[in-house]
Amino acid sequence: MTGTAEPIVMDLQRKPNIHPATQAKGEALLAALADLRTGTGLATEYLKELPVPHRRVERWKHTPVSGFWTTYEAPKVQTIQAAGCEACPVPGLHAYRIVFVNGMFDAEASDLPVHSGVRCEPVSMIASAPAEAGNLEKSDWFAALNQSHATEGMKLHVDKGVVLDRPLLVHHHTHGQKSANFLRHEIQVESNAQVQLIHWSTSNEAASGMVNIMMQLDVASGATVALDKVQDEAGQVHHLAFEQINQAQASQVRVHTGTIQGKWVRNDLNFRLDGEGCDAVLNGFFLPKDNEFVDNHTTVDHCAAHCTSSEQYQGILYGSSSGVFNGKVFVRPHAQQTNAYQQNGNILVTDKATINAKPELEIYADDVKCSHGCTIGQFDEEALFYARSRGIGESEAKAMLVHAFIGDVLDGFAVQEVRMEVEHRLATKHGWDTWNDTLESA
Amino acid sequence: MVNIKELKASIGETQILKGLNLEIKPGEVHAIMGPNGSGKSTLASVLAGREDYDVTGGSVDFESRDLLEMDATERARSGLFLAFQYPVEIPGVSNINFMRAAVNGKREHEGLDPIKGKDFLNLVKEKASLVELDGRLRNRSVNEGFSGGEKKRNEIFQMAMLEPRFAVLDETDSGLDIDALRIVANGVNAMRSPDRSFLVITHYQRLLDYIVPDFVHVLVDGKIVLSGDKDLALKLEEKGYDWIKEDVIA
Ligand SMILES: Nc1ncnc2c1ncn2[C@@H]1O[C@H](COP(=O)(O)OP(=O)(O)OP(=O)(O)O)[C@@H](O)[C@H]1O
Ligand SMILES: [Mg+2]
Repeated sequence: MTGTAEPIVMDLQRKPNIHPATQAKGEALLAALADLRTGTGLATEYLKELPVPHRRVERWKHTPVSGFWTTYEAPKVQTIQAAGCEACPVPGLHAYRIVFVNGMFDAEASDLPVHSGVRCEPVSMIASAPAEAGNLEKSDWFAALNQSHATEGMKLHVDKGVVLDRPLLVHHHTHGQKSANFLRHEIQVESNAQVQLIHWSTSNEAASGMVNIMMQLDVASGATVALDKVQDEAGQVHHLAFEQINQAQASQVRVHTGTIQGKWVRNDLNFRLDGEGCDAVLNGFFLPKDNEFVDNHTTVDHCAAHCTSSEQYQGILYGSSSGVFNGKVFVRPHAQQTNAYQQNGNILVTDKATINAKPELEIYADDVKCSHGCTIGQFDEEALFYARSRGIGESEAKAMLVHAFIGDVLDGFAVQEVRMEVEHRLATKHGWDTWNDTLESA
Repeated sequence: MVNIKELKASIGETQILKGLNLEIKPGEVHAIMGPNGSGKSTLASVLAGREDYDVTGGSVDFESRDLLEMDATERARSGLFLAFQYPVEIPGVSNINFMRAAVNGKREHEGLDPIKGKDFLNLVKEKASLVELDGRLRNRSVNEGFSGGEKKRNEIFQMAMLEPRFAVLDETDSGLDIDALRIVANGVNAMRSPDRSFLVITHYQRLLDYIVPDFVHVLVDGKIVLSGDKDLALKLEEKGYDWIKEDVIA
């Protein structure tokens, strides 16, 4: 972990902002977890100091956490086979694979990379000191909870100049009720190396409990990393995903987050552009239904000059679902010639659906190009009528407009097979199959 | 085919159609002319089933069915087609996927299976050539970035694809250059048949040189005030509408 400037995220949290009743819930959760595994390390100290999120903690203002205050049990199932789930959720994908079930490494289902210059192991199998806490763990109670309780995860090191020949799929599956799963992935990509990662989360229909995954990604100069992240969790799982990405000079990182389903999902994606000439791309879409909740909090911290960041999140909210989008962009005083773009579009399909969308740009350099846009709307009535006047049914017409709305973002997955599988799953969920497959032009 | 009786329609508090009568028999082509704002597009929209308008009186019979009882999708599937005065752009939806959904909607209504990919593409090819629609336009998003004339051609292409029983063309000629006008008119003429009817809304007699109507009607202030044969259009071209307002209505 490099970096000189103190991150601004922390400043917000430094004010003591403890809500006693919520704090007690957090402590009760720790006690409940203690029966399963004891928290260790410095992070246990942070847990004592940090406010347990409540409505007046800025980054959790619209993110209800009451679903976490429940009981947890030791998992009964520890392998993907026992869970009756496919090890590879993407048919036909030729990828290396590391599989975790209920927070545990499933050696049988994994197919770790065998490639010179690449080391990839489950954390539990290596005797090394746990990674240092990043900024998130020092500022966010749930991130600290991850650090204190995670004993498993993937440790990946890609040497200088190595180009991994296949994507590496990290699959986490939750099976059964009341599980508490913590994973911590540490990834280091050395200079000029290239790697494609896929991070896929699933769970079974009867699943409940929490999934708390932290990914630390350090990308050295000139390296390129693509991360396709797909969340398709059935049941009642509460999913917390933290990413801390540090980019050195002239590195390129793109993260693509698609939330297909999930009772409660919070993505906390943080980029720190530490060297000149970095390029960061972060795209996402979310289509919650019924009473699902999806939250995307993103931070792009421009700490160096001549970097670009481009962000597009599209949300379509059905039923009585709710969503949050919060996009922070910091441009530090030295980060001249920054080019930062952010776009967030939302469609509320019903009048019961809600979205809290907030772009937050803090710009301290003067020679920068920053733009952002945020829209919240309904379906385009003119387009709907036009389609219906051609004999297209109303729900199909809506599906068509939905597909168009997220089309750009859908196309942006780095791995083609992932895009196709995501599209297939969305089609099944939303009934798009009738028109969706594209035709070759004759 | 279509029988409109005493049709009254309003938007909000404003009444626009004020008791309109029109009967169109199978195979006939009727033209409607009239001053701006007289209610021509409103009539077209009401026929197509746009919900913004309240029908406050009268009836529309379409092939012995109550048209006003059907929703827009059902009307289209039953064989009604409206070529929009202002075709709508739908970014992100390809023209070709849009049309396939439309064709399959109609087929579903007729109890047929969805069209096979190959058959569909052959159909597209055939119908696109009818209006000389550029192949590239088929794969672009619906009307997005199309020129005014390309949009109008696309409307006729869609009509040809859907083979309606009754088509309303709302100012399909405006915005077309001379060649395009001829192409579009030829496309329409190629579709004329004893069991298909047209209602052609236009401001210019010129179109009617190409698409020769059986009847010409003048719509003023929400009513048809005068009907005649194709010569009426020539007279309107020459004399405008004022004489009607003075002689006929007064
Ligand atoms: N959505 C609307 N809201 C309010 N008024 C409307 C609306 N649509 C139509 N009108 C009014 O209804 C009247 C008739 O409009 P319509 O579009 O039917 O005229 P038109 O005969 O098609 O005119 P043009 O020749 O200019 O196309 C006009 O006065 C118009 O302003
Ligand atoms: Mg009009």
